[in-house]
Amino acid sequence: MKKSLAMLLVLVLMLSLVSVAAFADKAVTLNVVTSYGGDDGNRKNFENAVKAYEESTGNKVNDGSATSNEEWKAKVLTDFETGSEPDVLFYFTNADAEPFISAGKVVSIEEIRAEYPDYAGNMKDSMMAVAADGKQYAVPSSGYWENMFVNKKVLEDCGVAVPGPDYTWEQFLADCETIKEAGYTPIACSLVEVPHYWFEFTVMNNGTVENHLDVPAATDDAAAAKWAAGLNDIKALYEAGYFPANTLTASDAETVELFNSGEAAFLIDGSWKVGYFTENAEDLNDFAIAYVPGKGERSASEAIGGISMGYFITTKAWNDPDKREAAVEFVSQLTSDEVLSTFVTTEVTALVNGAKPEGLNPLQQSAADANANITAIAGAVQDSLTAEARGDLFGNVQNVVTGKMSAEDAVASAIALN
Amino acid sequence: MSSMIYKKKSPLILFLVPAFLFLLVYLYYPFFQNIINTFMKIGGLGRAAEGLNEPWYENYQRLRTDPYMRTALKNTLLLTVCTVVFQVGIALILALLVDTIRVGAQFFRTVYFFPIVISATALGLMFNLIFLYKGGMVNQLLLSMGKLPTEVKASGKVLVQWLDWKDQSHFLFTMLMPVMWQYVGFYFVILITGLNNISPDLYEAAALDGADGWKRTRYITLPLLRNVLCTCLVLAITGALKVFDLPWVMFGAGMPENMSWLTGTYMYDQTFNKMNVDYGSTIAVLIVVLGVILSNVANRIFRPSEDL
Repeated sequence: MKKSLAMLLVLVLMLSLVSVAAFADKAVTLNVVTSYGGDDGNRKNFENAVKAYEESTGNKVNDGSATSNEEWKAKVLTDFETGSEPDVLFYFTNADAEPFISAGKVVSIEEIRAEYPDYAGNMKDSMMAVAADGKQYAVPSSGYWENMFVNKKVLEDCGVAVPGPDYTWEQFLADCETIKEAGYTPIACSLVEVPHYWFEFTVMNNGTVENHLDVPAATDDAAAAKWAAGLNDIKALYEAGYFPANTLTASDAETVELFNSGEAAFLIDGSWKVGYFTENAEDLNDFAIAYVPGKGERSASEAIGGISMGYFITTKAWNDPDKREAAVEFVSQLTSDEVLSTFVTTEVTALVNGAKPEGLNPLQQSAADANANITAIAGAVQDSLTAEARGDLFGNVQNVVTGKMSAEDAVASAIALN
Repeated sequence: MSSMIYKKKSPLILFLVPAFLFLLVYLYYPFFQNIINTFMKIGGLGRAAEGLNEPWYENYQRLRTDPYMRTALKNTLLLTVCTVVFQVGIALILALLVDTIRVGAQFFRTVYFFPIVISATALGLMFNLIFLYKGGMVNQLLLSMGKLPTEVKASGKVLVQWLDWKDQSHFLFTMLMPVMWQYVGFYFVILITGLNNISPDLYEAAALDGADGWKRTRYITLPLLRNVLCTCLVLAITGALKVFDLPWVMFGAGMPENMSWLTGTYMYDQTFNKMNVDYGSTIAVLIVVLGVILSNVANRIFRPSEDL
């Protein structure tokens, strides 16, 4: 009797263990890496979307998100190369993604749709980035724009008008001088950390929106000439003392705070920075989105923008039977019309039905108004460079502005590495 | 039975082999592979080599002519000298002072040792705030003491010329000071332990002979502390070659204008940010060679006395 009771107890125990194990198997832990970390304006929206995903599926998300910069990009690529890539990655869809796409480490949308026909069905296929092999891999999230933020309070103190879509380089230089004379810093920018914003626009100012994406192939071609001219324009601004006195030692965060605290007038940044000011500005009515001054053939109403990032599902997750469905569901939820509408305020999307943002704040409304006046848009040319060439080019901006290297040599050095 | 343990040495190999294999796989193999990598062309971490460099010793040529490498070497050697003078020097003075007090010695031991337990990254962020350009702690103090020039503009705005602690004139101090400060406590604890091992009888005898405080330090403490001091110096010199995290957090990629590179930060930047893995490997080889040479020199100069 005792023996059979013991056997029964053992049997019950084993059955309960098996059932617990079976139940536990259903909960999958997804490793996700995105650029919605740090002070990204959409960080809260992303965290809310992840929470909603976890609640609706019972799965867990290991969120490895960080701020997007060159170091983060390098880390993501290194993770792929060392076999420690995440299951889902939100990353750039341009040349930056080619190393892991060509290595077959992410799954194409075509392959995913063969099993999940509705995958990314709410997106316009024509707006999804096409890789070098002609396939599409990433489900696009919201797009971006880069333009000039202005501190209206500083401009008002200096008697300078908020720039309009016909703002010229000459007017800008005159305004900078007035602002400097009044004791403010005209341009908030860390030339050591984020010179790329000014590089994009000064290069476009020395070319056109149509040929903006031309990458120099030789030191004597037209693209190299406009790149060098763009760098020289930045040098002229530096020599005139329009950047912060510590622009070569300050972090991006420091110079953005300079602008936020009413010490600087102009800041070129992207749509992602709107969220930062929404959270940190004392009064959003003090800020507006204006236009980067135009020069030559470029009008101030021509800007940088596009959709440059999207969600990739890695081959590692796809080949894991437990993670495949969880990863597909994660991307589907994060790119649904409802979720993307919370991420978007003024940015373009690839949604078939478009995003429906609600309740724009004064800065978001200002961005929407400025975007309504944008006449043409081009992607960022830096996205066409290899990590090594880009690091070299932007690392040399400080050498160019201080006269340690000529702009032509800096461009030649980048060409050699691209 | 017990004597058998000492006679039969072969079982010892069983205990030594696992550790040896571990080192073979995780230290010596990567080390020799790293040397091979210096001759190859490798465009990213984990990527296969695309063949030999042309010429195969290209990276070593570049090492010789690279101006940033020269800066890194110069700064690293300067850091090593400062480490010896300030880290061990200040630690010695503090240890001697704390050793003479009767009340609060334990308190000071804890206080001086505390920076060691804080991560270098956290310390880097803290010192970034201390030396912040606008509104940093040091600059605010200078402003309140009237040491920073101010100008009242026509608009009525007061313009403060903040001191840039990371510019060309100040970056060395701003970079070296936190590193020195962080490790003083480490050597302090080693030295104070050495001081505790000196018999109080010697001091009592010296006092009876009429020796004052300075003479007791000069003729008893310092000679008996020599071996501990030598160990500290060797540790300080080899440790200085490995400094990376704190300067990286504070100065990133060679700020200002590529002047603050150390061998460690330059190697990291080349390998992980510039994706120039083969050149990064070459810098790593140089760091190892430098480490072996300097630690050998340090061991010869500061060889512990066998009389003590």
